[in-house]
Amino acid sequence: MLLVLSEEHKEHLGFLSEVDPAVVGESGRIAVEFLKKGSNPKIYEGAPRKLNVWSGSVQHGLEGLMYLLTESCKLTISEEDFQDSVLVLGFSEELTELLLQLYLENRKEIRQILSKLAPSLPHYHSLEWRLDVQLSSRPLRHQLKPTVTLKLHLEDGARRSARVLQTDPPRCSISLTSWSERSQSSRAATAAASSTTSNRSTPLYDTTAVHSGSDLFA
Amino acid sequence: MDRFRFCGDLDCPDWVLAEMSTLARMSSVKMKLLCVQVIKDLLDEGIDYDKVSKLTSDAKFESGDIKASIAVLSFILSSAAKHDVDSDSLSSELQQLGLPKEHTTGLCKSYEDKHSALQEKLREISLRLGRLEAVNWRVDYTLSSSELKQVNEPTVQLKLQAQDPETDSTQTTVVSITADKFRVLLTELKQAQTMMNALQ
Repeated sequence: MLLVLSEEHKEHLGFLSEVDPAVVGESGRIAVEFLKKGSNPKIYEGAPRKLNVWSGSVQHGLEGLMYLLTESCKLTISEEDFQDSVLVLGFSEELTELLLQLYLENRKEIRQILSKLAPSLPHYHSLEWRLDVQLSSRPLRHQLKPTVTLKLHLEDGARRSARVLQTDPPRCSISLTSWSERSQSSRAATAAASSTTSNRSTPLYDTTAVHSGSDLFA
Repeated sequence: MDRFRFCGDLDCPDWVLAEMSTLARMSSVKMKLLCVQVIKDLLDEGIDYDKVSKLTSDAKFESGDIKASIAVLSFILSSAAKHDVDSDSLSSELQQLGLPKEHTTGLCKSYEDKHSALQEKLREISLRLGRLEAVNWRVDYTLSSSELKQVNEPTVQLKLQAQDPETDSTQTTVVSITADKFRVLLTELKQAQTMMNALQ
């Protein structure tokens, strides 16, 4: 599969043919660093002066290079396809080879970074529970009402949140049985699936069987 | 696989079984001292990592081994306390798992010494929602208002600081209560108190 580069993109990458191969190598290294850690605007200040070029062209060149790498990694294009796609830029063989090496060496890591950009749901962190028996309330004495209170701790990247749920034991045990059955089949499915699928466990709790703590303080 | 009481009548987790040999690499004296440190950590009294590295240096533990031994001791001690296992049963179960007798004796002695303190701590950290942290009150006497020249009425203001069930942050609520409503509140609370006293 070939990459189709826009005219603007080709223009930006054109910067690379105007400078030394050493600079191209350095630009490649910087571009990969930017992909791993985020861009550093200071580079856009120092480099143009050293190279005696317009600062815009350094930025465009780097961004063009980053885009070339991410698009190639996104589609996992083959070596030949990469070379053919870059052919339209009219670079020297040496330059094309440099870019190809840059792509091949960093392909795996960039794919890993790209995989983290997909949206994700909060996932299970831990569960606290408590079993209580309600004996009395203001309107009604002499009761025996068992309740299970759950605090589900979730994690979404760095953010932690918690949901408080409450149910009565029979419903709780039905939910737990269905949860453990689904968890068994989920484990079987995960084992059978390829290694590139996400390993995170999503909360399989059947939330239709619990109601949130509205009668918490009855 | 046998069921173990200290694991809540379930199978012993594989990782726990695997770490028995790690613990056995230490001398039984040093392992007992390590238990003391682990118990301090469980009771939130602070673990002394310097002492821990000194204790594990003879056995040439790497950082992975140190972490594993702390983790397995934490699990054994807190799980045994959770399921209220007596010291003798714990001793026999640990030996079944392959922990040498001297090590088991040391561990169970520490466990027995701190058994109640551990259970008290576990009780304390059990799930509680909306924990009441502070209560402040004030009695005011309203003399006059924009609606009525002579009001002459006492009110109580209650400031309640409680923990939000989901975010664990402290939330403050202020309520003001008229004398009549307050009388009702007090009566109801006294009934609840009688019930609580009967249960203790």
